[in-house]
Amino acid sequence: MVRILLRFSEEIVEEPITSQIILELKVPINILAAHVNSKGGEVLAEVPDAALEKVVKAFRKRGATVSIPKLIEVDSEKCVNCGACVTLCPVEAITIDEDASVVFDKEKCIGSICSACVDACPARAIKSVKQNNSELTANNTR
Amino acid sequence: MCSSGAIINVGHADPPIKIEKAWINDVPICHPGAAVDLYIGATAMSERQSFEYGGGHVIEDLVGGKEVELKATAYGTDCYPRTQVKTNLTKDDLNQFYLLNFRNCYQRYACAVNSRDETIYTYMGKLLPRLKNATFSGAGELNPLMNDPDYETIGIGTRIFLGGTQGYVIGEGTQHEPQNRFGTIMVRGNAKKMNPEFLRGATYTRYGTTLYVGLGIPIPILNEGLVKKTAIRDEEIFTNVVDYGVPRRDRPKLAKVSYKELKSGAITVGDRRIRVSSLSSLKTARKIAGTLKSWIENGEFFLTAPVERLPVDTMFKPMRQTEEVSFVANVMQKAVTCSETEAVQAIAERIVTRSVNHIVMVDGNGKLTGIVTSWDITRALAQGKTALADIVTRRVITAKPDEPLETASKRMAQHNISALPVIDNEKKVLGIVTAEDVSKLLGR
Repeated sequence: MVRILLRFSEEIVEEPITSQIILELKVPINILAAHVNSKGGEVLAEVPDAALEKVVKAFRKRGATVSIPKLIEVDSEKCVNCGACVTLCPVEAITIDEDASVVFDKEKCIGSICSACVDACPARAIKSVKQNNSELTANNTR
Repeated sequence: MCSSGAIINVGHADPPIKIEKAWINDVPICHPGAAVDLYIGATAMSERQSFEYGGGHVIEDLVGGKEVELKATAYGTDCYPRTQVKTNLTKDDLNQFYLLNFRNCYQRYACAVNSRDETIYTYMGKLLPRLKNATFSGAGELNPLMNDPDYETIGIGTRIFLGGTQGYVIGEGTQHEPQNRFGTIMVRGNAKKMNPEFLRGATYTRYGTTLYVGLGIPIPILNEGLVKKTAIRDEEIFTNVVDYGVPRRDRPKLAKVSYKELKSGAITVGDRRIRVSSLSSLKTARKIAGTLKSWIENGEFFLTAPVERLPVDTMFKPMRQTEEVSFVANVMQKAVTCSETEAVQAIAERIVTRSVNHIVMVDGNGKLTGIVTSWDITRALAQGKTALADIVTRRVITAKPDEPLETASKRMAQHNISALPVIDNEKKVLGIVTAEDVSKLLGR
C-alpha cells in the first residue's frame, strides 16, 4: 500500500469524490486520517501500489491535490529516550523496547497530518519533514 | 528537574560593572550576589523565543563548549562606573561554573492525567482530554532515595554522579517531605567537567523550559537493613494517579498504582485502561547506574560518609495566604433554565422578565443539554426561526464550582463567550457564572 495525501478545496469538498473513485475504479482506498469541514479537507489515504497511478489521476481529474504526505522524523542524537511522546501516538507507532529505548516505527506512523507527538517532545527531537516527491513522479503519474 | 540552575562568575570587565540585569542568549539571568556573580535558572525563558529556549539550554550549551552571548546593564557607581556590557563567553572564560540545584531526585512522583474536555499542557507533559493518556516521572526502584529511605548513607557531603562527573549532596532539597516518601536533595557539581549527555535543556510546550539532570548516588551496604532496603522493587513503590485537569493545589487522586504498572505502559483507573509513559529517561538512569558502578570498580570514585544526614521529619507546608482567592462557587448565580420543548417566544419572554442574557437548557434530571443567549433569540427573529432546537448551542463550554475564578474567566475570553454554566461531575447544572459577575469581582 502507498500513502497519499489528498486535499480538497472549498469548491469541491462537498462532492463524494473518494466514493466515486472507489466505485469507478473498483479499488480499495483506506482512509487513515481526515480533517474535513466546509472550508476544505485534508485526507490521508492508503491505496494499493498497483493502482496508485490511476487513483492519483482520478483524484487530480476531479480537482483534488495529491501529494506524498509529510513524514515525522526523529533526531536520535537529540532524543533522550524519556518517553513523553509514547502515549500521544494514536496508532501506537512509538513504543519502549526492552532496554528502555524509545522506538519509532516509520511504517505505522501516519505522518504530519497527525503530529500529536511533535509538541510533546521536551528535547525537540521530533519534526515533521516533507518527503521527497520522487516516488510519485517516478511512477509517472503526473 | 525545574529547580536546577548554575552559578557562574564571569570575571570583571574594564572599566568594571556591577551587573544589575543580565541576559545570556536573551535568557534573563539572576544576579543574586555581588558585581559579576550570576545564577542561570533552568526555567528562565528566552525573551526572543520563549518556551523554546531557556536557562536549561544555556547550561547545556555552555557545558557542551558552545559560545554564548552575555548582555548586562547597570546603574553605574563610583567604583563600578560601567552601565552596560556585551561579550561572548565559553565555559573556559568563566571563573566558576557550578551546577547548583536546589531540588532534584524526587523519591517518587505523581502520575498525571487530565479529566477536562480539552488537551492541557503541564509540567507533566501533554495530557489528552478525558483521561486518554497518563504520564509519570521518576525511576522507581532505581531512585537513590527509595533505596535508602531512612537516609542512612545520604546527606551533606555524599559524593554522587552528577551530570557525567562527580558532585556532592549539599543538603535536603526544597519541599523535602520524607514522611510521605517525597524526599529530595540539593546538589552541587563542577559543570565545567560535565557532559551534555547527562545535562539537557528541555522544553515543555506551553509550560516552559527546564533541565534534564543525570544523577546517581552510590549506596554502601553497611548493614543487614540496607540489604533489604536496596532490594526494593517497582511493585512495592506506589504513587497516586492525580487529575491535573483540576487547577488546584490539592488535585483529586483517582487511583493508586505501582511503578511496575507505570513501567508496563498501561494503568487501570476504575474500569479504564490508560496508556502511560515516563517523562524521565529510564535508559539514561540505567546508564548512570552502570557508569557509576564502573567508576567505583576502577578506583576512580571514592564513597564518602555524610557529614550530616538528610532530615527524616521535615514537613512541606502549603503557602500561608493572607489574601482571599475567589472560586467559581463564590460568584455563580442561580441559572435560569428551559427545556428543549419550549418555543423561542417563551425563552424571549423569560430573558426579559428575569433580565438575563443566558438561558441554560436542561433535561428532566436537571442535566445540561444546551445554552441559548439573547443573541441567539435575535438571530432566530431575524431568520424567522421558531423552534428552540434550531438555535440552541449544544456543545457548551462549562465551569466547575471549585475552579479558580481566574481560570473560568480565561476560558470565557479564549472562546469569546460571556457566560459558563457551572456543572458537577454528572453534568447537573449548579448555576451560571457570567463575565459581568467576574469583572465586578476582579475589577477588570
